[in-house]
Order: sequence, then structure tokens, then C-alpha cells
Amino acid sequence: MARYLALRVAQSLLTVFLIVSTVFVLVRLAPGDPAAAIGGPTATTEDLQAIRDELGLVGSVPQQYWHFITGLVQGDLGLSYSFRQPALDVVLERLPYTITLAGAAILLTALIAIPLGIFTARRANSGWDVGANIGTIAGQSMPEFWTGIMLLTLLAVVVPVFPASGFTSWSGLVLPAVTIALLQIALISRLVHREMAGNLAAPYVTVARSRGVAERALTWRYAFANSSIPVVTALGTRFAAMLNGVVVVEVVFAWPGIGSLVVRALETRDYPLIQATVLVTSLLAIGVQLLVDLLYPLFDPRVRVGKAVSR
Amino acid sequence: MTTQTQAARPSAVTADRLRSSAAALRRRASRLKIVLGAVLAGIVVVPILLAGVLPLPDPLEQDLSQRRLPPFTDGHLFGTDQLGRDLLSRILHGGQVSLTIGVLAVLVSGVVGVIAGAAAGYYGRSVDAVVSRLLEAQMSVPLLLLLLLVVALFGPSITVITLVIAFAQWPEPARLTRAMVLVEREKPYVAAARVLGLRRAAVLLRHVVPNIINQVVVVMLLLLAQAVLLESALSFLGAGVERPHPTWGRIISDGQGYITTSWWLVTLTGLVIVLLVVGVNLLGDGLRDRVSRSRAAKGESR
Repeated sequence: MARYLALRVAQSLLTVFLIVSTVFVLVRLAPGDPAAAIGGPTATTEDLQAIRDELGLVGSVPQQYWHFITGLVQGDLGLSYSFRQPALDVVLERLPYTITLAGAAILLTALIAIPLGIFTARRANSGWDVGANIGTIAGQSMPEFWTGIMLLTLLAVVVPVFPASGFTSWSGLVLPAVTIALLQIALISRLVHREMAGNLAAPYVTVARSRGVAERALTWRYAFANSSIPVVTALGTRFAAMLNGVVVVEVVFAWPGIGSLVVRALETRDYPLIQATVLVTSLLAIGVQLLVDLLYPLFDPRVRVGKAVSR
Repeated sequence: MTTQTQAARPSAVTADRLRSSAAALRRRASRLKIVLGAVLAGIVVVPILLAGVLPLPDPLEQDLSQRRLPPFTDGHLFGTDQLGRDLLSRILHGGQVSLTIGVLAVLVSGVVGVIAGAAAGYYGRSVDAVVSRLLEAQMSVPLLLLLLLVVALFGPSITVITLVIAFAQWPEPARLTRAMVLVEREKPYVAAARVLGLRRAAVLLRHVVPNIINQVVVVMLLLLAQAVLLESALSFLGAGVERPHPTWGRIISDGQGYITTSWWLVTLTGLVIVLLVVGVNLLGDGLRDRVSRSRAAKGESR
């Protein structure tokens, strides 16, 4: 267990290091002078120098890298130009909204996708199976920003059931969360279906059935218990990809989270701010995944005794 | 006379039962997906390819007296947008941008992914460790923001956006190729080729990769669908190909403000994206079923 834990933490740290370095390299590879782009045509030489100082673009590359890393460790991600505040503070202020939305969406996904996948898996090779298969393909083919606008128009404008935008009350959470969940449900229910169908057809289930174990117990205590690990893993790994959807959907619904912040930063060429959002969301996704991996022992006793689980 | 006694013996397996068997159902399902997918994708792709030939107004030609005309008025099949430009023409020309970027991105990510995945699976050890760590790292972070940063830094040209999407997609073919090469390299023909004196790289390129490439190519269709979605999401967020090129994401983000008065701007554009992506996804999924079934029938592992 300790070995497994140490390995996972080391892996996460390596990922963080790779992301941080990628961002560092990208900013320095970019064509043109970022300082000139930020300062605009009216900037004086002193202004440009000040901006370069601020961006950490002074000195040799190893020096810059050292400066960059030590800054990060101290929580210094530079100054946001449009907000005139430390970029990290601006991002952290918005982060709870993004986490709330992502959390609601993932909860909704799990609550619908898992029963749906089990339902269709128990009816493998029937019309239900084919229908669900085609339905989930359609579900993952819709751009989230479009379904968002459609839901918004139908359920907030034409028939005003939910608030149209922003976060004024908890009911404002419903439409954005549903929009994100639609795509995730399609993806996760396919996975649940595949895992469950495989386990339900496995010899150990046939043996248990022949010994008189009830269908309900076969589904849950036998097949689902064995399907839960890959499903939980997928929910963890999907979290990173789901954040992409959250960013887009936030813009549609004017949700006061990181997504709408990024679009603004993009318009004002606020590089430190974009950089801060990249790093903070990456850390969030890596943290969630680490947490999920550390929860394995709850689902699978094999991890508890330190035996490797083949994935 | 003697043959008749054999035919007279009734079999429990009737034609009816065969038709309703699981295998037959799966075969019908994949055929349905392939046909339906090809039709849906064709409905969108063919007009996009013909956009230059069709008698359509210029996608950039503005006519402020003809702003936001509803569909089917004055020869504008899909209506016009907030600057009086023909919506259908804009959607088709935007589709050319999307498809160009999508196809190029899939080609780049496919080549990179297959090379990296095949090397990782075949050579193992340190090559595998490096590729696998990179894959893990990339899949555990939300890429969209990083892609936006790149587009902001390097400018929204077709090349940059293509490379950005290819970068987002290379893990998929890489993982698939790696997993298949891991199985393939243990097979007797690999050992035989080595014994015959072929170098390892030659075995990989001339024998292993041709054996698995079918399945990877089928997955490319699914990647193309994702590439189109990603491109439209980027342009929706303001990181699409520069104006005046029409792009699907920008038509929708510009149209969002007029949704209550001019529903067609967002709705029709979105429907075209959905038709194309559903079609390509169904086609890819159906073909994948078929390829993996034919491999299974040959007694190979999936």
C-alpha cells in the first residue's frame, strides 16, 4: 500500500513538473515579443522593460526557469494585467464556482450513467442494446456549447423554468450541469455497459447462477462489484476532460467560474492569467485523480494488501 | 435416394433462429450504423466539398438591407445572419475550414501516435516508460486551457490550430497501437522474422505495423469527429481561425445574442455539426465493430 501510494504521488509530481515546464517553454517559444503585445503601440522602452520584468523574461533561460519555479512554489504566478491583481488570486476567487459546477455534473453523470449502463448490459443483444448504443453515440456527438444554448433557449427563455445565466440561486446550477452531464453520461454509460456485459457473461457468474444465486445479487454483488474499479477509474480520468466541457459551458451560461475568466483573458491577451488558469486547473485535475486512486482500497481489497491490480 | 434421408432430418436450428441470434443482431446493428453514418455524414460532407460549385452567394458578401432574414426567404435557404450574409454559404465554407483542419490534424496525430505507440510497445523499457509517462501526464490535465494559451501565443492560423488539435489527439492512436503491438510482438511470426535475420526496426515496420494498421485507421474516423468538435469549441471560445473566414464555432457564438429573435443562426449551424459528427461517429463505430469481429473470427485476440 505504501509503495503504491508513493508511486502514485511521484507520478503526479512528474505530471505537474511536465505541465509547468511545457507552459514555461511555450511562452518563450512564442513568436514576437509578448511584452510588446501586452504593452501595445504606446509603450515606452521603460514600460516594456517593466513588463518583461513582470513576466520573468529577464536573464538567461536557466535563470528564468529557476525564477519561474521558485515563484510557483511560493504561489506567485505573476500579475494579471486586466485585473491588476496577482493572477493566482483572481483564479482562486473563481475556482469554487467551477468546482461546484463540475461536482454537480459528475454527480449527475454517476447517478444516471451507472444505472443506464447496467440496464442495457442486462439486456445485451436486444433492441434496447442497439438503441442505447446508437443513442450514446449521438449523445457524444453534440457540441456542449450548442446543447447549452438550446437548453437555455428552451427552458429559460421560451418556457422560463430556470434562470438564464449566472449564479443567482441554486436552480441556476441545473441547466449548465445537465449540459455537461449529457456528454459524460453518453461516455460513461458505454463504459459501464461494456464492463457489465463482460462480467455478466463471465464463467464465474454462470457458476454462481447455476448454484442458485438470485439475478439481483448476480448483477450487484458479483458483476457490479467487479466493474466498479474501471468505472471509478474512468470517472477520475474523465474529470480532466470534463473540465474542458465545464470551461465551454461556463461561457454559454455566463457562469462566474474559470471558463468565462479565460475567454476574457484571451481577449485582453492577459498571458499571466491564462497561464495561471492552466496551472490551477491542471493541479485540480491531478489532485482529483490522485484522490480517486487513493480511494481504490475501499472498492478493491486486493489493493489493500498491496497486490497490483491489472488495469 | 441416400441424400434425401439426410435432408429430411429436422434441425433445431431454423432460419428464424439464426436470424434472431446474437451474432446476427450484432451484424445487423453494425450494418445499420455504417449505412446510417455514411448517409448522415454524406448529407453534410458532399455539399461542403461542392460549396465552391453550388450557386450560392459569397459567404463574406454583406447586405445590411437583408439582415437576419428567416430561412426560405429571397433565395436564402438557411436565411441570413446579422450582417446580411447567406447562412448556408457561411456554414458550408466554415465546414471546409473545419474539415481541412480535422483531416490534417487526424493525419498528423495518427502518424505521431502510431510511431510513438509502436515504438513503446515494441521496444519496451525506457522508450515505453517515456511514452507512457507522457500519455499519462497529458491525459490527466484539462487540455483545452493549454490549447487556448498556445493559440493566444502563436496566433490563430490554420497551421497552429491543426497542430494544437493533433497534439490533443495523439494519445488515442498511441495507446491503441501500443496495446496491439504488445500482443503482436509475442507472436511466432515476429520471432521467425528475427531468426531469418531481419533487423528489429524492419520487423516492426514491415510486419507488425501492417498487421494492426486496419484497426488504427478505423479509429481515425472517431478521431476526426472529435477534431471537428474541438475545432468548433476553440472557435466558439474565440480561438478559431481568424476573420473573415467563417467558422462553425464563431457563427454560433455570434448568433447566441440573437437566439430569441433569429433562432436559425445557432440552431441550423449546430444541427449541421451534429449531423456530421453523429454520421462520422456511427460510421467509425460500425466499421470498428466489423474490423474487430473479423479479427476475432480469424481467432486473433481483440
